[in-house]
Amino acid sequence: MLDQALDEIKTSPNLPALQDLRVKYLGKKGLVTEQLKGLGSLEPEARKLAGQEINKLKTVINDAIDAKKAELELNALNEKLEKESLDVTLPGRHYSPGGLHLLTQVINKLSDVFRSMGYDVEVGPELEDEWHNFDALNTPGWHPARDLQDTFWTTDGRVMRTHTSPMQVRYMETHKPPFKIVVPGKVYRNEALDATHEAQFHQLEALVVGERVTLADLKGAINQMAIALMGKGTKTRLQPSYFPFVEPGAEFAIWWTHPRTGKEEWLELGGCGMVHPNVFKAVGYENVTGFAFGFGIERLAMVSYGIPDIRYFYQSDMRVLEQFRGVL
Amino acid sequence: MNVPYAWLKEFIPNLPALEVVADTFPQMGLGVEAVHLMPAPPQGVVIGLVETVTPIKGSDHLKACTVFDGETRYSVVCGAPNVRQGMRSALAKPGVLLPGAGFTVEKRKMMGVASEGVLCSPKELALYDYGGGLIVFGDDAELGQELASYWPEEFVLELEITPNRADAFSMLGVARDLAAKLGLDYQHPAEAILLPDPDLDDGITVKLEDEQGCPRFSLRRIDNVTVKPSPIWLQRRLAQLGLRPRNNIVDITNFVTFELGHPSHAYDLDHIVDKTIVVRRAHEGEKVITLTEQEVELVPEDMVITMPDNLGGTTPIGLAGVIGGLHDSINPDTTSVALELAHWDPVMIRKTAKRHGIATDAHYRFERGVDQNLPPLASARASALIADLAGGTLHLGFTDVGKEKALPQIGFRPSRVAFLTSMDVPLVLQQRYLEALGFKVELQADDNWLVTAPSWRFDMAIEEDLIEEVARMYGYEHVAETVPDMHFVPEGYDSTHRQLRNLLMGLGLQEALTYVFTSDAELARANAPVAVVKLANPQGVERSVLRTALYPGLLEAARTNHHQTGVAFFEIGRIFKETETEYLSILMRGEWVKESWQKGQKIDFYSFKGLLEKLAAQLQVSFRLEPEKVTFLHPGVSAAVYWDDKKVGHMGRLHPEVAARYELDEAFVAELELPLSFGKLRFSDFVRQPHAERDLAILVPKTLTYAQLAEFVRDQAGERLELLRPFDVYEGQQVPEGQKSMALRLWFRHPERSLTDEEVDGFMVNIIQHLKGLGYTIRDS
Repeated sequence: MLDQALDEIKTSPNLPALQDLRVKYLGKKGLVTEQLKGLGSLEPEARKLAGQEINKLKTVINDAIDAKKAELELNALNEKLEKESLDVTLPGRHYSPGGLHLLTQVINKLSDVFRSMGYDVEVGPELEDEWHNFDALNTPGWHPARDLQDTFWTTDGRVMRTHTSPMQVRYMETHKPPFKIVVPGKVYRNEALDATHEAQFHQLEALVVGERVTLADLKGAINQMAIALMGKGTKTRLQPSYFPFVEPGAEFAIWWTHPRTGKEEWLELGGCGMVHPNVFKAVGYENVTGFAFGFGIERLAMVSYGIPDIRYFYQSDMRVLEQFRGVL
Repeated sequence: MNVPYAWLKEFIPNLPALEVVADTFPQMGLGVEAVHLMPAPPQGVVIGLVETVTPIKGSDHLKACTVFDGETRYSVVCGAPNVRQGMRSALAKPGVLLPGAGFTVEKRKMMGVASEGVLCSPKELALYDYGGGLIVFGDDAELGQELASYWPEEFVLELEITPNRADAFSMLGVARDLAAKLGLDYQHPAEAILLPDPDLDDGITVKLEDEQGCPRFSLRRIDNVTVKPSPIWLQRRLAQLGLRPRNNIVDITNFVTFELGHPSHAYDLDHIVDKTIVVRRAHEGEKVITLTEQEVELVPEDMVITMPDNLGGTTPIGLAGVIGGLHDSINPDTTSVALELAHWDPVMIRKTAKRHGIATDAHYRFERGVDQNLPPLASARASALIADLAGGTLHLGFTDVGKEKALPQIGFRPSRVAFLTSMDVPLVLQQRYLEALGFKVELQADDNWLVTAPSWRFDMAIEEDLIEEVARMYGYEHVAETVPDMHFVPEGYDSTHRQLRNLLMGLGLQEALTYVFTSDAELARANAPVAVVKLANPQGVERSVLRTALYPGLLEAARTNHHQTGVAFFEIGRIFKETETEYLSILMRGEWVKESWQKGQKIDFYSFKGLLEKLAAQLQVSFRLEPEKVTFLHPGVSAAVYWDDKKVGHMGRLHPEVAARYELDEAFVAELELPLSFGKLRFSDFVRQPHAERDLAILVPKTLTYAQLAEFVRDQAGERLELLRPFDVYEGQQVPEGQKSMALRLWFRHPERSLTDEEVDGFMVNIIQHLKGLGYTIRDS
């Protein structure tokens, strides 16, 4: 019986068939169980021996069934896994990835730099009055310096801000020194449009005012920004220049490696200087000094990423936008 | 401002090499735009005398000329309008490549006449930009000489002069500044000149009627002049400055403008009635014809130079400080010259130039500031040059009306240089710098100097101006790098909506930035509100008003990307109506999930709404829509957006009419005012009791909204209703015409214990009774 049972178990094709075998041999009315029932008619000594034999037989069959069960289960699992396998090289479901505009990313990065230096990030109106855009910034009505910024005027006599600097005045009108702020935002210039000139673009402005803020603090702040943008080893250059709302005034440049030519050179970035006393006078500040600097975001982005034409920023062509999604 | 290196060296004999000069200027605040090598004319171009000029039969402009180079006579065909017998010009011989014309001179026949060379215009020789006639020389040009021997190649530094530095709009000013920076001496070209005597009568009368508009007016008389071409050296200098040589008198006035920084104007004295000039305000409607033959109608805010008319009044002969008049200008027959050096109110000059749209070298200087003490010297310099180059007789007299400028005095504490710049500049250096720049320094106490600005500086008013002078002389390269010592705690709020932008990106939207300027037509095309703010000076009608909504820009962006199977854009920006407001706009069209080997999925209204619901969930605020029609949305798919129970804008399907105008198919738009509020976070314990679920299907009229039905249900459900959501909306078979079936799932939960079936059934009975009472049919489940 044992040989037959083991043979049947071995060739059992599946789990139900194996279960049938378990019933056939080990069930209540199974062949082995029947043998046990037959023991009652034997002598105690013989019964004991036969009982041991039968129990042994039962154990062997049971183990064989368990082993076969494990084998069949493993096969079934493997079969299932096999069935469930996929071609992982096929493309995934294609969801729109989304992205941030490159200018937003550059502004974010700069904001991070200045936040880490303890600055607040402020924004202000783009449609300004003449006072905040010019007069309060030491650029009265018929000052030739107004020619430096070709201005869009509205029919009701307001002005599209020509720089982010009016926010200097607005912030000082409502806050007390000391403070450190940066102001990113859109500005407008009525210039002939070409690859490097747009009627709208972005600037970032910094303003720091306190009891004694110095030209060296200004250079230090610009240099910290330069290091954050270009890495250690960069340096900063100030050269005298003129902006009506600062005195002394300067242009600043940072030393960098041009991404296309690989050449190390000065990148002239923007204007800066010590806040002109007339600006402090306009907002009622006394006995403080401060510095301000500002520069164009588009230009920085163009030179950093090799973008040849400023108009790409505003044409919303996905073929451009999708190249800069938001990893900056 | 173009600065020829060799000319600068005449001012500063010990001038360092060009490279050093080019590096030094920017360190002083005089930006170097470029360093140009201005070429010499090619070899083979010689001075030639035009001996004969004969019209060629059959041509309306070509002439056969004989040109003599001192040895040989050449037959030259010439078409220049100014060719005439006796003139000296530039003759290019065969084989010469004319750099400005791009061709090589060859012997050839034109209209049957042999031409053995070319008489050249300045443009053909690439000397300066004038191609309207031949270059003309005086008798300083020797026949047969190579022109290049007079006109060598030279380096010219192109400087960018900021508006505060009016003093640097001249060779003298640039040289003075550079010499101070380098610690070198410079030579003033008119320092040793003999000044005229203002007390001597020269027969000229000047009346000054408006001293505010004209603080100073001077005339110098020079008789017996001969108007002719300038010597080559003068022509070359003017060419390097970017000017076109005219004749010796006019060229001298231009030369002195750039040499010393003082504009001047020469009148033909014989054309000035009674040799009398009256300087006054213009009368309304008066007219003057300028040198450039432009008729200008004047207003009383203009200053004019006038002479007596024959009615006992005066008539304008020049637009003061801007441009001279045609009537009395220097002409080939002029023999007597009155040379004007005057001062004008900068603001009036600026307004006059703007008003009449005339920009000249003179007005440019006057509106920024011209050294008011310079007229005697500059007049003497120009007059001496005229006497020298035009053979004139100088009058010893000088008419000079008006006064010298009072010089600003500024209290200066040298310690403030270090205070403001952190640069420790020794006192002796500070004093030396200021004096080298022309300031007078009086040491009243150790830290209290009285500094008098020179008459040529217009940017000196306060101590900080002097600090900058010291700093730029000492050198900004010495500025240290420090961190400000201050106690400021930033508030750190997200003024640029950074978190919102990041979430929108996470939703799969691409940020775009579009144009703020648009047009009435564009706003109309998009069914957007009409423009409120308009530009007074737009660049064109297409960009003439300020946007009143963001979505038209995104529509344009969608049109730009029509080649894409779908777009999902957002923009955060300002719109301009009665106020300037920050908005968020979202536009989606086409495939949201792109088709691949699996099916794609086009954006539809509920997916679009779902994205915004997701955004609201992320920011933990409530979100709901209420049907509301707006012009730019499909009237059947148009809603007001309630964000955190506050109406913030609209969303829906773009009106098909608008979509068609932008060549778009179905598109979805949201236009929401910022800031969008964020939820206030606070912990509340969650309920651990199980919920009881019931479903309910109701037949309702098609027009009944889910929100209305939900409200009916909630009204009667009691406080144990925790969740209500639709799980099926069905129209069609088994549903009567005009009706729809809405299946709702309800969850009831008690905070402290399990609800019994009887309790929940009771809630449902209440709801069902109420709905039946409203006339709706409950479908059997």
